[in-house]
Amino acid sequence: MDRYQELKEKKEKILAMGGPKAVEQQKKSGKWTARERVEYFFDPGTFTEIGMFVRHRTTAFGMDKREVPAEGVVVGYGKVNGRYVMVASEDYTSMAGTFGEYHGKKFAQAIDMAKEMGIPFVSMNDSGGARLQEGMDTLEAYAWLFRSQILASGIIPQIALLMGPCLGGQAYHPVMMDFVFQCRKTGFMGIAGPAFVKTQLGEEISLEALCGVQVHAVKTGQTHVVAEDDKDCLDKAKELLSYLPQNNREKPPRIDTGDEAERLIPELDGLVPEEAHLPYDMHEVIRRVVDNGVFYEILKDFAKNVIVGFARIAGRSVGIVASQPNIMGGVIDCDAADKVARFVRFCDLFNIPLVNFHDTPGYMIGSYEEHKGILRHGAKMLYAYIDATVPKVTVIVRKSFAGAYLGMCCKDTGADFVFAWPIARVSIVGAETAASVIFAKEIKAAEDPARAAAERIQQYRDFYENPYRGAERGYIDDIIMPSETRKYVARALDLLENKQVARPWRKYSNINL
Amino acid sequence: MAVAVNAPMAGKLLAVNVGVGDHVKENDPVAVMEAMKMEIKIFSPASGVVKEILASPGQVVGPETVILTLE
Repeated sequence: MDRYQELKEKKEKILAMGGPKAVEQQKKSGKWTARERVEYFFDPGTFTEIGMFVRHRTTAFGMDKREVPAEGVVVGYGKVNGRYVMVASEDYTSMAGTFGEYHGKKFAQAIDMAKEMGIPFVSMNDSGGARLQEGMDTLEAYAWLFRSQILASGIIPQIALLMGPCLGGQAYHPVMMDFVFQCRKTGFMGIAGPAFVKTQLGEEISLEALCGVQVHAVKTGQTHVVAEDDKDCLDKAKELLSYLPQNNREKPPRIDTGDEAERLIPELDGLVPEEAHLPYDMHEVIRRVVDNGVFYEILKDFAKNVIVGFARIAGRSVGIVASQPNIMGGVIDCDAADKVARFVRFCDLFNIPLVNFHDTPGYMIGSYEEHKGILRHGAKMLYAYIDATVPKVTVIVRKSFAGAYLGMCCKDTGADFVFAWPIARVSIVGAETAASVIFAKEIKAAEDPARAAAERIQQYRDFYENPYRGAERGYIDDIIMPSETRKYVARALDLLENKQVARPWRKYSNINL
Repeated sequence: MAVAVNAPMAGKLLAVNVGVGDHVKENDPVAVMEAMKMEIKIFSPASGVVKEILASPGQVVGPETVILTLE
């Protein structure tokens, strides 16, 4: 046969993936094929495939006769909005996208290359799980994948898109990436699927109830962004990439958003209720401060008592961390602390400045959270903020009490600048508690204890529950009108643009995990 | 299938804003509690009809306390 013709035919066969029947089945289940996903994800005509001829070497259990086009994973690079990204897109139509030795090798090598080139890595997960015919070879290949991605962690952004199932040991792959996206109807991630759970434990549960979107986006906090379908998932991933640098040696791209840096926001004056116990939606504040009101929220449905996500201020990418008084009063519990800490560390790894909005009554107390280890979880926030060397700007909107004042980033837990609104109350404890301790004897001995307590509470409140005591010590750099928030934050970020921090060498801090 | 509406955290129940037979939508505030000196709304996790109210104002509640159930 003509050698040129042979090449053409071989490629055509590989590009046809698992064949027309399997492709049709893939479409019927509401999914795009691995190649359609890649095609849509990259700027037109920029995708270059690597290793399409790679083939497994297993002969056992009939594998000698099995051809698996591209080994069930399409690997390559291309441009997303003009910047290179490496991709591994699993092909469910080819032997169910099962993960075998060479499937794993392609995956791991793609990550190694992305790390060396300093470009983000995106996986599109859609796999029936481990290729059991390959036994030990498959098992060890998981280690290649995990080793490659962990050694690339903090060097390049890594994003997993759960567009199909990802079950078994393989599920450690997405969960160890920086961000996990999950398609609402087709994405699943679990340490074991329902069949295995049933045989091992006798528990009967559907795939969705075990490890669908409701589980990971709401309960476990392992899915950062929920997508409606393949297109939505790829669009959202591209949008996230726009906030990120290519690697840890770069700054994120600064773009002209057309929103004036020092824009005043008159409607912020009076927006937040002065009464410290009343709830309101902190999104209302965030949207008004950031460029054009665009906020890319991460973990939107998990630990909703805090808000984290990306936005731009004067065109600069920033990470927003904010209390949410609308949910659980904005208190910080174990889940909220985990959510904040990992987000702060991601931003610090990738040179993204942090802007923090405080309105929290504190870390959650009581047996339930104490026994869950609120101290250990809350500590993650302190570690994350103090360790972080990126620019950090804090806005104290209203309440900032006790440990949560420290954990949400105050002057000496890492903030370069702290601004407070006039309605801010910054103190070690609420006035009721303080007065009941300091004046316990006096109140008990008083003719009218209730009146004595009320007087002392008021005294303490008048003296401490305001932003002025903190500003007198320099812990608050300035007290500003809410309408001036964007102006002050934008100026601070501008000054901090080239902030450099030198610290003595250590391997890493021993953060409470 | 009945859906339980739990208190989101430890604290004191202040009020239940719905009655048996009321229709509620997902994310509607159905009760109010107090914790950490904050007024905290309890949102319905699902849409449905209130079947039973199991907690009363003034009661100390926690994450395991069912405030009401929906059908």
